[in-house]
Amino acid sequence: MNFAWRIYRRLAEAFPHEFKLVYGTEMVQSGEDVVEEIAKRHGIAGLIRLVADIAIRLPVEYLSEMRRDLAYAARALMKSPGFALVGILSLGLGMGVTTSVFSTQWAQMFRGLPAVTDPQELAMPQSPVSYYYVEQYRAQKNLFAGVAAFQNGIPFNVAFQGNENAKPVRVFGQLVSPDYFSVLGVKPQRGRVFSAAVDKPGDAPVVVITDRFWRNRLDSSPDALGQTLRLNGQMATIVGITPKDFRGALPAVLAELFVPVTVPAALAPELANDVLYKRDAKVFQAMMRLAPGVTFESAEAGLDTITRHLEDQDISNPERAARGRRVTLLAGGVMVPIPRALKPVVVGFFAVLVGLLLTIACMNLANMLLARGAARRKELAIRLAVGASRFRLIRQMMSEGILLAMLGGTAGLALAYWLALLRSQLKLPQALPEEFDYSLDWRALVFTFALAIICGIGFSLAPALQATRADVAPSLKEGAAIQLRGYRRFGMRNLLVVSQVAGSLMLLLIAGFLVMGFSKTNNIQTRFDANTMYLLAIDPVRDGYSPEKAQALFEKLPGRLRTIGSVGSVALAAQPPFSIAGVTVQLNAVKDSRDASRVLQSVIKETVGAGYFAALNEPMLAGRQFEERDERTTSDGSKTLPLPVVLDESAARGLFGKADAIGQRITEDKQSYQVIGVVRDLKNGLPDETAQSGSVYLPLTRRDFASPPAGGITIMVRSDAGADALRAVRSEIASIDPNLAIFDVRTLAGYLELSRSFMRLALDTYGGIGVFGLVLAAIGLAGVTAYAVARRRKEIGIRVALGAHKAQVLRLVLREGVALVAVGTVLGFLGAIAMVKILSALTSIFVEAFNVATNDPRLLLGAPLLLAALAMLACYIPARRSAKIDPLQALREE
Amino acid sequence: MPKIDVQRFLPLKTQWFHIMLALAGQEHHGYGIMQEVLERTAGKVRLWPATLYGSLKRLIEADLIEESDERPAPELDDARRRYYRLTALGRRVLDAECDRLQELVRAIRVKQAMVTK
Repeated sequence: MNFAWRIYRRLAEAFPHEFKLVYGTEMVQSGEDVVEEIAKRHGIAGLIRLVADIAIRLPVEYLSEMRRDLAYAARALMKSPGFALVGILSLGLGMGVTTSVFSTQWAQMFRGLPAVTDPQELAMPQSPVSYYYVEQYRAQKNLFAGVAAFQNGIPFNVAFQGNENAKPVRVFGQLVSPDYFSVLGVKPQRGRVFSAAVDKPGDAPVVVITDRFWRNRLDSSPDALGQTLRLNGQMATIVGITPKDFRGALPAVLAELFVPVTVPAALAPELANDVLYKRDAKVFQAMMRLAPGVTFESAEAGLDTITRHLEDQDISNPERAARGRRVTLLAGGVMVPIPRALKPVVVGFFAVLVGLLLTIACMNLANMLLARGAARRKELAIRLAVGASRFRLIRQMMSEGILLAMLGGTAGLALAYWLALLRSQLKLPQALPEEFDYSLDWRALVFTFALAIICGIGFSLAPALQATRADVAPSLKEGAAIQLRGYRRFGMRNLLVVSQVAGSLMLLLIAGFLVMGFSKTNNIQTRFDANTMYLLAIDPVRDGYSPEKAQALFEKLPGRLRTIGSVGSVALAAQPPFSIAGVTVQLNAVKDSRDASRVLQSVIKETVGAGYFAALNEPMLAGRQFEERDERTTSDGSKTLPLPVVLDESAARGLFGKADAIGQRITEDKQSYQVIGVVRDLKNGLPDETAQSGSVYLPLTRRDFASPPAGGITIMVRSDAGADALRAVRSEIASIDPNLAIFDVRTLAGYLELSRSFMRLALDTYGGIGVFGLVLAAIGLAGVTAYAVARRRKEIGIRVALGAHKAQVLRLVLREGVALVAVGTVLGFLGAIAMVKILSALTSIFVEAFNVATNDPRLLLGAPLLLAALAMLACYIPARRSAKIDPLQALREE
Repeated sequence: MPKIDVQRFLPLKTQWFHIMLALAGQEHHGYGIMQEVLERTAGKVRLWPATLYGSLKRLIEADLIEESDERPAPELDDARRRYYRLTALGRRVLDAECDRLQELVRAIRVKQAMVTK
């Protein structure tokens, strides 16, 4: 009984202050009065009931108090709508951006593949391997429960049954090993998926389609199963439909259908040249499911050993002697597998950027609440004096902060949703369609509101504590204008202002570095009106052409197109000009065995046809450009005859210095080339993410015609005749073969616009973040200065009464602001430089952008000056009010 | 002040009804209400202390009862205790609730007679 009574009393003490004030003693006393009787009459059960009753009422009372607090807070906010609006907007922007980043980061890196069983058990090597290796990996039953091979982003020209006249459409899919679906653990929604037991080489071709393909292209036809499709001109039977959400492994590249590697090479040119049996044909991605109990690390170590062993057997392998890790494993079951080493950097970068933003937003609010708390000091003092507890007042002010944060969080969520919508409408200028799930998930929702609550508590606690620390008596006596501890040199508010200025300068500088760096490296200049060049793509091999027939077509096509009256120049290329889908290679300069050969890393490789540079109006700086005869050079087999190549200035300088590059020999991998020409550096659309060193142009050859890249072969046509020329070109191609699929038709200007739109979004985001930080800091400073003016009203009144000039008063007020801004600027500048150094050291992604921009005086001087100017303006406007203070009125106030 | 619709309080929560019923005849303090209810129901209904005071608070907020400033005779008075009484609104609500319950009882009687027949 005593025990129950003790608990009862303890619980009674924990009730909210207001409740205790009125009912506390009586509740305790009543409990004391009845406890004995209850024990007598009901025994233990009664005592338990007594304690349970009070335990249940405790949270109920708190909730009701909180509701009252919130109602009071809502009224208080409505009374000062300006304060509320600025608070909600700034917090909303901060949280919106944060949630948006959180959602996409989450979506890209941490979200598991949809419709896949236990995605966390999946792993994939970072670099592609050969099919032979996959088979060897598969044999390691102690490490892997299964290993599948696949190629993604494979284009298929698909013609539908019963619609013979319609042109084939280009659909992207994956080429997969028969065990692909069993490794991923995916069950079909209809029909069957592939399996190693059923699908054998030599079988009639089959295809598994996605739900999306079924819905969009077959109108969800109930008898889709068993229907045949013409894939790249060959018949294939639909045997199954994947589950609704399934989008394959590496879903960043859209896949609509899955074709087994057991089909003949005529259906999938990617399978030509016996790639399934060549151990050095490293064109497959491996996807492995770890055996039960095998950790990621041990799988990686085991895989490394096997790979090392396999490579040691292969005498011709140049990497045989290489040291260090051969294999890096990535988490395979996520949307975008990224190396584990890179993950903290990418996440960290965004965390820093977003964290700064959020910190500034919170500090701003803390500052505003602080000033507000000071202004309400008298109200608080009265409430303290008549018996409100300090805790009660703090809770009150905190609930105001929480309410503000919740409203801000809601606004932020709306913003994040809008950003996600914006992002999903963005088209990327790549040959492969990409698809991301940019929708917000419920975790983002929880995150925002958790953040809102933390911010609300965080930024209202400090001001609330300070506001209630005041001594009651002087507050009452002197009213709102009382002198407090705010004059301390390192008061909390000053600290806040300094860090706010520093933080926003850091944000501005980092964002500025990125913006300037990116925009500088993305400055494509054509020597002609980009609207007069049309780009079209065709892929005859996937329309059922044999390699020989395809080559014959490409040989006669430019000539046929030039016969059209309005067409100026025509050229072919394996990628659109200024493409961002560049492949980088390593080039070696072959010297006459005198000095060590020079090596140039990360050279962008583009494959272009005859007359390419002429079509782009680019004169050759030296040598000649490609001619039609270069396209007939066979690249494989005859190693005696080197392929001609064209270098750009950077690559030529990098390889041969000041010497003449023409006629020099270079090698890439095992292939040797001879330089026939040099052109000026043509920027490609890629932001210089990698430290690239120039470009090398290879001629289009038979091999490219036989298996064109995913974007097909691009036909570039120059004409001033506008859309008429395009129509003429289309009908000319149709007159050669009406069944040829023509896709990706656009002007060069349109293509460049597309590639810029991607960059522009990034620039707008970073720029927006920087500007937003600046505005926030200015608001914060203005608030603080206004508060300082209000606080020193009496002092200023006395000074003016004693004959101080307006300018003197202004200087007095501004002096404090200037000092804070100066300290903040210096700290922010140093912080930004340190951050750039750290980020550059951690990853190469930003190096180029930072390198370009960190030396730019416009930014180095401009950003601090801009910030300081804005900050001073923010100080000046409220400070001006100080000069208007009427001394009589100010002094009379007491 | 516009007349508050008593119907929106009905049906009354059990503990509210018992508290108001206890206050119908005379003013009581919290402990007194507890005892009154216990005696009236022969020990069947017990208002547990925390529930009782929580309900008192809400009844005051709903303006159904109020604190009384009249104290009983000094020798009976316990200065620490607050005394409560029904407000005018509280009386109307209690009246309406009693009517409602009587209506119910009448219906129950008719049905019961039909069953026992």
